[in-house]
Amino acid sequence: MISKYKWWELVITYTGMALFLTFILAPFAEALMVSLRPIDSVFRVPYRFFTDNMTIQPYIDMWTSVPKLGRYILNSFFISCAVTALALACIIPAAYSFARFNYRFRDGFLVAFLAVNMVGAAVLIIPLYKLMFSLGILNTYWAMIIPGAAFSVPTGIFLMRSYFLRIPRELEDAAYVDGASRLYTLRRVILPVALPGIMVVTIATFIAAYAQQFLFALTFNSVTDYHPLPVGLYQFFGRERVLWNELMAASLVGILPVLMVYVFLQRYIVAGLTAGAVKE
Amino acid sequence: MGHLILSGVSKSFGSAEVIKPTDLEIVDGEFTVFVGPSGCGKSTMLRMIAGLEEITSGTIEIDGKVVNNLAPVKRGISMVFQSYALYPHMSVYENIAFPLRVAREKQPEVDRLVNRAAEVLKLTDRLKHRPGELSGGQRQRVAIGRAIVREPSVFLFDEPLSNLDAALRAEMRVELSRLHSKLGNTMIYVTHDQIEAMTMADKIVVLRDGRIEQVGSPLELYHKPNNRFVAGFIGNPNMNFLPVTCKSADPEGVRVTFADGSEAVVAVDCGDARPGDKLELGIRPDALRIGGDDAAGLKLVPEVVERLGNQTVIYAIAPDGTPLCVVGDGFAEVRPGQQVAASFAPADAHLFGKDGAAFARNFDLSRLDRLA
Repeated sequence: MISKYKWWELVITYTGMALFLTFILAPFAEALMVSLRPIDSVFRVPYRFFTDNMTIQPYIDMWTSVPKLGRYILNSFFISCAVTALALACIIPAAYSFARFNYRFRDGFLVAFLAVNMVGAAVLIIPLYKLMFSLGILNTYWAMIIPGAAFSVPTGIFLMRSYFLRIPRELEDAAYVDGASRLYTLRRVILPVALPGIMVVTIATFIAAYAQQFLFALTFNSVTDYHPLPVGLYQFFGRERVLWNELMAASLVGILPVLMVYVFLQRYIVAGLTAGAVKE
Repeated sequence: MGHLILSGVSKSFGSAEVIKPTDLEIVDGEFTVFVGPSGCGKSTMLRMIAGLEEITSGTIEIDGKVVNNLAPVKRGISMVFQSYALYPHMSVYENIAFPLRVAREKQPEVDRLVNRAAEVLKLTDRLKHRPGELSGGQRQRVAIGRAIVREPSVFLFDEPLSNLDAALRAEMRVELSRLHSKLGNTMIYVTHDQIEAMTMADKIVVLRDGRIEQVGSPLELYHKPNNRFVAGFIGNPNMNFLPVTCKSADPEGVRVTFADGSEAVVAVDCGDARPGDKLELGIRPDALRIGGDDAAGLKLVPEVVERLGNQTVIYAIAPDGTPLCVVGDGFAEVRPGQQVAASFAPADAHLFGKDGAAFARNFDLSRLDRLA
């Protein structure tokens, strides 16, 4: 396709993108600026984006204002990793089954999964609390991991299934003809070929788990040591005032694990990993 | 090793019978080609032999053992797929070694067998590459390597050359024939390309609508087709068919009248032909001669003339509107739109009844044996 745009089309395109990015990135910019000045300068009128007394002091002070901050960040990271691992362990076999096998009510099950997704965790929080209570796992890591995984499974299945559907069936036929069992084929052929898809699902699940743990932690956990970062951040809300600058600094540091996971995993989403499998 | 017998094999999807009950015997070492138009069931038949598709009824026997319920690997078959179906994340070596890995062969044995297969297929210096780095022909050879490495008794090929360009296809055809004579295994090959069938097969199985129309050697099918479908399918360009009327039938042959009133005697077994029957006369494009003075003549108007150098392919229409194809020599004196006369020897003609069945030609098949 020839992509030749008129100048005004380019202007519209870039304006649109700029608008969109501003909308998304402005809060980050603001958070960064707030985290880099003393608390007195935060509320200064008139508002100024840059101030003279900028400092990285909040990044140092935050560890003493909230002594367990490091633990909260680790908790967040751990819970998200556990959610991702548990969810993947359910998503991959389920998605493979939805993509490849024929059984009664298969499509019905798929729709049911997606319907659960539409209801969302917030609506189900009270019944879930009762469930956690009966299972006796309130105030444990499990109370945050299990619901987190459960709510990311449907989307994951949907994503993963469409990836599996794109893998040519002949690859499995070939392995079967060569004597490989279903599980052997899944392990040695399908999973490596589906690796880019698995990475996408991993990243999506991890980020979702990172974002969604606040609700579960707030409801199902009251042990301070198990709190993830979003709940831990509340401790910056003092009796008299809120340490906005340290809060923002802690939030930005808390995002780092997600960024790291993203940077690390996206190397594996290599386009063309499946090239040469079959004639396109 | 590799004697295959199908008896009463059929396949239905729901109420649709895609393979009608079929009997077929393929002897050890034979190169058999299943050929037919798309949707005729040839690939389904192959997948049934492979064990990838369940059989609705009948039995498949390989070397005297009924294999209906055996997994492909237990049947002693291996298969090459149309799309190659290589594992993109594995090197060529590991691709070829895959069946051996599944069977948990020891590493020295794997090395020996893979290297031997690579040598046969001229892939030795490609073993470390990924399939993505190979050309189409090389990928196809890797797929064949994976099939031959475990030394099965029957090879199955599902349109293996249809993804290659014309030049490479011709090359691979020769290579496959060479491979067959080197390995001597039974090979079953599915294609819709009658040239592949004619050039490689010891035996051709022509299929249509899930039914075997004829089984025979390529030349047998060419010279003595059972019916109009086989006659039209085998041979390139396709056979011409002219509507004729039976005038008289006697042991010497059938005398027929063309639409323009001219007559010819076709040397076939007269069978149950009666005067007045509407029949069809089949004549191959290369049996028609422009301006020749053979016994039977036709008038035709060329529409398209393709000059290929060594021959001229003429697409023409007869006065009654029947399209005809003539293959003449490279210097044939024809021009589009100018009527020419063509003729043929009645001995070269085929005759088909109303139901499409061929009248048996007085053609001596022992002539073909001398060519074998």
